[in-house]
Amino acid sequence: MNKATTMSSDAAASAQHQKNKFKLKCHAIWIKTKAFFHGNPPAIIGVFLITMILLGALFAPVLSSHNPEKRVARPHQAPSADHILGSTRNGRDVYSQVLHGARKSLTVALFAGIIAMTIAIAVGVTSGYLGGKVDEWMNFITNVFLVFPQLPLLIVLAAFLGQVGSLVITVLLGVTSWPWGARVIRSQTMAIRNKEFIISAEAMGESKIRIILVEILPNLISIVFGGFLGTVIYAMGAEAGLGILGLGDATEVSWGSMLYWAQVSSSLYTGAWWEMLVPAAALALTGGALALINMSIDQVSNPKLKTGPHMKLWKRLNRETMKSRGLL
Amino acid sequence: MNVSSLNTAKSKAPLLEINNLCVDYVSPHGIARAVNNVSLTIAPGETLGIAGESGCGKSTLAFAITRLHKAPALISNGEIIYNGRDILKMTDKELRAFRWNDVSIVFQSAMNSLNPVITIGEQLTDVIAAHKQISPKEAVAKAKELLEVVGLHGDRLKSFPHQLSGGMRQRVVIAIALALEPKLIIMDEPTTALDVVVEREILNELYDLKEQFGFSILFISHDLSLMGEIADRIGVMYAGNLIEIGDAKTVFTNPSHPYTKGLIASFPSIHGPKERLYGIPGDPVNLLKLPTGCNFQARCVDCMEICTKDDPILAELSVGYQAACHKL
Amino acid sequence: MSFLLRRLGFYFTAFLIAISFNFMLPRMMPGDPIDALFAAAQGKMDIAQMDAVREMYGFMDGSIFEQYIAYIQSVFTLDLGPSVLMFPIDVTTVVGMSLPWTMFLALGSLIVSLILGVTIGTYASYRREGFFGQFVPPLLAFISNFPYIVTALLLFYFFGLQLEILPLAYTYDPSIDPGFTWEFISSVAKHAVLPMGSMILVGIATWVFNMRNAMINVLGEDYVTMAEAKGLSSFRVMYRYAGRNAILPVATAIAMAIGFSFAGSIMTEVVFNYQGLGNILLKGIMARDYPLIQAILLILVSAVLTANFIADLLYVWLDPRISK
Repeated sequence: MNKATTMSSDAAASAQHQKNKFKLKCHAIWIKTKAFFHGNPPAIIGVFLITMILLGALFAPVLSSHNPEKRVARPHQAPSADHILGSTRNGRDVYSQVLHGARKSLTVALFAGIIAMTIAIAVGVTSGYLGGKVDEWMNFITNVFLVFPQLPLLIVLAAFLGQVGSLVITVLLGVTSWPWGARVIRSQTMAIRNKEFIISAEAMGESKIRIILVEILPNLISIVFGGFLGTVIYAMGAEAGLGILGLGDATEVSWGSMLYWAQVSSSLYTGAWWEMLVPAAALALTGGALALINMSIDQVSNPKLKTGPHMKLWKRLNRETMKSRGLL
Repeated sequence: MNVSSLNTAKSKAPLLEINNLCVDYVSPHGIARAVNNVSLTIAPGETLGIAGESGCGKSTLAFAITRLHKAPALISNGEIIYNGRDILKMTDKELRAFRWNDVSIVFQSAMNSLNPVITIGEQLTDVIAAHKQISPKEAVAKAKELLEVVGLHGDRLKSFPHQLSGGMRQRVVIAIALALEPKLIIMDEPTTALDVVVEREILNELYDLKEQFGFSILFISHDLSLMGEIADRIGVMYAGNLIEIGDAKTVFTNPSHPYTKGLIASFPSIHGPKERLYGIPGDPVNLLKLPTGCNFQARCVDCMEICTKDDPILAELSVGYQAACHKL
Repeated sequence: MSFLLRRLGFYFTAFLIAISFNFMLPRMMPGDPIDALFAAAQGKMDIAQMDAVREMYGFMDGSIFEQYIAYIQSVFTLDLGPSVLMFPIDVTTVVGMSLPWTMFLALGSLIVSLILGVTIGTYASYRREGFFGQFVPPLLAFISNFPYIVTALLLFYFFGLQLEILPLAYTYDPSIDPGFTWEFISSVAKHAVLPMGSMILVGIATWVFNMRNAMINVLGEDYVTMAEAKGLSSFRVMYRYAGRNAILPVATAIAMAIGFSFAGSIMTEVVFNYQGLGNILLKGIMARDYPLIQAILLILVSAVLTANFIADLLYVWLDPRISK
């Protein structure tokens, strides 16, 4: 009886402890998030744009006004109240298409990014941490992939496979765009592996897997995330490129296939700019916004790049002292 | 006779006079004062040593003398008089002409202070060419001569830094420092990166060169025993303040300030009997959270009530000997 | 020297891997590729020519290893068979005609954006607290990360179609005879403005950021402080002492950029109907001209590998520490 109560109070204490720990962690994340955005307009703009685009993709069925795959208007109608971004040559509603297209294009890009970074982490960390012969071979393979022109390779593969669906494109993009990430992760892992905390963990007999997962990976987060965003930008552009070349599945609605149909219908020449420029603008905004976020992440992994609001104070004080010495 | 005339010259016109110098760092968390109200003089031909833990402001003080501090550092107050001119009031052009011509610097690590991708010759001749109206040929001849002065072969002009050993590189750095025969050479831990044998060799050479050229030295180091050998006078800094300054022998054998005592007790003496070493308890203070009163109070064994209220002021204990402590 | 030999060995191996990949491609396809080819040629080929193509591909009797050797032979003798699209012209001839234009676009835009980007990046690091350093890099990051195809389309629409100030298609005015004349060269230049301009826009941010970040790292180094302490002019400190070192990590990024630039050229050529490899590649894909497609892939790989080797030479020249 007595024992049971102490046990439960122990449990309560440990639960309380867990809760406090969790609170502390949340607080730390909150502080870091604030520091990330503080005095950093590009990050704010980038995250805002991406949030809007993701919401648009997520709620496409609710937000869209028409079925994107059905003929709902006369061909090439200019933007109007009924079709706010006009219609395509085939009478599809461009606004609804660009919302639904976001789903497909972003899914392809995000999953290609996930595949690429998974391979990049596996190759980069193994190679950088183990070193020796393993590293030599993996580095060789990485370098071979790195010097091959990926996009032409992709185009030729897609050409030989015939018109390919988005799933195949995702996989192809993923498995061809990991080398750069692997290279950066490898060199970062090599830099970390000689730090004291790794050496002491090794001396304490921790397993290699545990060292990689617990000690090394958390230190790679900002680099991995930066590489991920870079790959997403690239994959999105490549999907659009394959699309406009007619190598994607033109029956799916994606930003790439929208460009393809706009190209086929010579929409720019006939004055129906909206059919081409709307998906183009969607691609441009997404790419640009991701790049702004990526740039800010760079500042996290390399604090030297960050300039804070305190520099404004320095500039003012410096000017004042220079003036007092008669130098300005 | 000779000595006494030197002494009168010393008391008449110091080569360099620093008055109430304050250097601030503007950080995101507030303004930290790295050098606080420091005043000192260096006489012609004199070696002044400045000692203290890393972060005590000794390097910041040295850099301020040729205004090498960069944003977010700021010389907020004081003056630095060299030959009757305030360095802080020089225009950019005057400052460029003053640098190296009058005051040169030997940096901590020769590995880092020589540019790895520029030849030794260019790094020697460019400073000569920048300050003197001479032909390239004469500059090269002068550079060769300088290398021979520090005991290197003239052929080394064509070498890149990585082709030289650590000791040779430090000799090159000293040769560059001598290039314009300045009146004052600032040495920022010039031998810490070298092994003991090479350190000894280079210091001996430095003595000889000093005899030959007659420059003054401002010697920055955390190594008090080294400084006891080389310096005429020693100053000790703690948390931005100059806390003790006087002739080297007294500071080394009979220090007044508790911090200096601790510093000396924490060094083994090479020649004396084996003694127990005493460190200084606690950590250096955070410059952003300085206490009221003496900065050293938390670590001081003799802390009194007044130490937690008033700042101790540097007071003259005997002729040319000052210390800042309430106990004295 | 041994560094360059090692690199040369690496590129040769990489090239062999590319050939092997090419050898395997038609063998991975469902069905007999030669039959597909015959069908695509729509009667333009006779049986004898078919057999020649079959042999060129190494689809002959014998083990897969013998087939592989035969294929490698045909690659190194540049005997890649006739093009289906432009039958009976040799694939090698077709590729040879358009390769210079792609090289011109890809390498030209790479060099221009490299020079511009490095200059802007250096200045941005110098003025990093000022308006230029705070505003220009994010703006360039935003614009430069539009996909190749989108930038090309936007320039095509606004400068070509709307403003009608620059030509929209071809590498030069077809009515002008090619030659070393002012008329021809200015026509080539005018036709290159839009495609090359769009590629420069896409390429430039990489260099601005690489250079700026490298400069910011280097500016904290002791040798830069020492150069300043020596009383050298700020121009010399910035460009000779800091810039000279900051350019090294930038140069390592060239390897990756070369591949990207060729890929970008392919996309851009399609939009501007520029008569380079990308355009031919697209036509080859439409016509299912497999020999042509494969030859283009091979030639692109060799061009990229060669350009990489040149970048290595540049690196050895830039960093004296590497050649020992």
